[in-house]
Amino acid sequence: MERNKLSWLTLFIGPSALWLLLLFVLPMGAMALFTFRAGSFGAEREVFTLEHYRDFLSQHSYHLLLWRSTWMSLWVAVLSIVLSYPVAHYLVFRAGDRRILYLLILMVPGWISFLLRIFAWKVILGSGGALNSLLLWSGLIHEATPILLYSPLAVVVVLVYVWIPFAALPIFASLQRIDNSLLEAAADLGSPQWETFLRVVLPLSMPGVGAAFFLVFIPTLGEYVTPLLVGGVNGIMYGNVIQSQFSRALNWPLGSLLSLVMLVVVLPIMLLFNRLIKLEEIVEI
Amino acid sequence: MTKMHKQLWQGCIYLCAAVLMTACVNAIPSSPADAPAASGPLTVLEWAGYDEPQYYQPFAANHPDGDIEFAYLDQDSDAYAKMQSGFQIDVVHPCSNWWGVWVQAGLVQPIDTTRLSNWSGISPKLAALGNFDGQQYFVPWEWGFDSILVRTDKIEKMPESWGDLWDPAYAGRLSIADMPEVNHATAALALGIKDPWQTTPEQNEAIKQKLIELKPNVLTYWTGSTELSQLVASGDVWIASNVWPDTYGTLLDEGVQVAYLEPKEGRLGWVCGYGISANAEHVDLAYEYLDALISPESMAQEANDFWYGAANMDALPLIDESVVKLFELDDPTVLDRTIFYETMSEEQRAEVTEMWDEVKASQ
Repeated sequence: MERNKLSWLTLFIGPSALWLLLLFVLPMGAMALFTFRAGSFGAEREVFTLEHYRDFLSQHSYHLLLWRSTWMSLWVAVLSIVLSYPVAHYLVFRAGDRRILYLLILMVPGWISFLLRIFAWKVILGSGGALNSLLLWSGLIHEATPILLYSPLAVVVVLVYVWIPFAALPIFASLQRIDNSLLEAAADLGSPQWETFLRVVLPLSMPGVGAAFFLVFIPTLGEYVTPLLVGGVNGIMYGNVIQSQFSRALNWPLGSLLSLVMLVVVLPIMLLFNRLIKLEEIVEI
Repeated sequence: MTKMHKQLWQGCIYLCAAVLMTACVNAIPSSPADAPAASGPLTVLEWAGYDEPQYYQPFAANHPDGDIEFAYLDQDSDAYAKMQSGFQIDVVHPCSNWWGVWVQAGLVQPIDTTRLSNWSGISPKLAALGNFDGQQYFVPWEWGFDSILVRTDKIEKMPESWGDLWDPAYAGRLSIADMPEVNHATAALALGIKDPWQTTPEQNEAIKQKLIELKPNVLTYWTGSTELSQLVASGDVWIASNVWPDTYGTLLDEGVQVAYLEPKEGRLGWVCGYGISANAEHVDLAYEYLDALISPESMAQEANDFWYGAANMDALPLIDESVVKLFELDDPTVLDRTIFYETMSEEQRAEVTEMWDEVKASQ
């Protein structure tokens, strides 16, 4: 590598590497260290122990929640992709000149506060909401009752709704990069549209699908606001336990351990996906 | 490893070293002589909403230029964690269930009540909650109930005791607070445990099972007043626990048909109040501020605005009659009939929080 090129690279990568180091790598290290402390404050903070590890291993409810949250996040990620893929496909291949306009429209809900959008769902599905009014009016039901709300399913529905635009973006980007001549060649060789899609478009867009998956799956695994508001009694996720350890029990060491465990769970899933869809290609597009 | 990688890593290591060194230098405590001079402004760690001059009228009149700065807290645990990390502040405003740990951690200093001209009106029962080892550490200010609220137009059978929350008649229509201590106390009272603040491990286990049994009745857990009033007003929830007086007030104002009940075991009650931080720089101003807070006119203002009780009994004549009637504030037995939250130790709190997480995780 030429010397000149090297210093330019350092200049460009330097700030973000520094950022990552200061605000990600170092805090992660501090967090890992914290899992061994006996308490959050005072003298207890200076005592080192494996107590929290024992606590975690013996506490069945944490494992159960982590398992449930992983499943829910997988569902959210897969459903977001399934629902946003046709949208991205339409935008790239059918919308023509208006694709950017439509893309912007797709992003508009993102300008509204996240909390407000969750509350909107409560208004739509709640007892006094639009859906109930319609059902009451049509005589299908006789007493207003929250529909779908306050259940794990509600958490999945709301999160899928929230994530669709974000899942659509990387898929949109990868579809847009597909060389049109490939599609023309397929057509010239007599391939029907569905086969072109399955054998050309879909494989070429897999890097975008992979990016969309991680964009949705990882933040969802740590989610705690949505379960709190629409999850009801059985929709609590792993993130809620982490929050409760940090902000209620003030047990920062156990909270750190719970967060670390989540990281350990995410890593193998990422590696597995990397095997399946070649994550490096995402970087190349 | 390419050369570029090496250079990057070297840079990172230098930087780490620099960061660590700065941190160490900063960690060396500065001598007291470096502390800034003790002239205003007074600093107060306060809940948003109480930072208005009408709640500390004499102080505001005496200091027309302000002389006061607020920092805000969201929940008691926040404030405690903040103080434990060395937050510099003069006056703090935690609630009674946390007072003991504040004192134990040495975060507040004893208060000389003879320096407070309005102290004589303070309810002895509430004052006792802020008294530890014979010394007053907290001045009680606002107090309120934690009780059951029902939609009278939806519910046919009124609950009479805390245990009635478990009645299957309310299946799917109940909302309880997403607060471990609150539910611990509720379940303890429902089980007939007299002292919810000192429970044995067997009782804790029974409380956990009891709360798991409540799940079929619960539609959702509420996390704040605003969310709760919306849940009740929309009709999703017909019976709610443990509701604060301000939520009841909001719903009445909105014209929702609600009643605020008194279970036969008694309502639960909370009280919050002011302490002077151990690291306070403006102790004289702090005393002046505390005295202003508990003046009858300031306290009546608080009661009228939030529908909470006033710890200073001399404020009673100044409180709106409707508020007094609604919560029987003029009934001399009202405080004795209420079961006030007491301090939980750090260990107890960790245990109760874990219990609550287990309840929520169970299916």
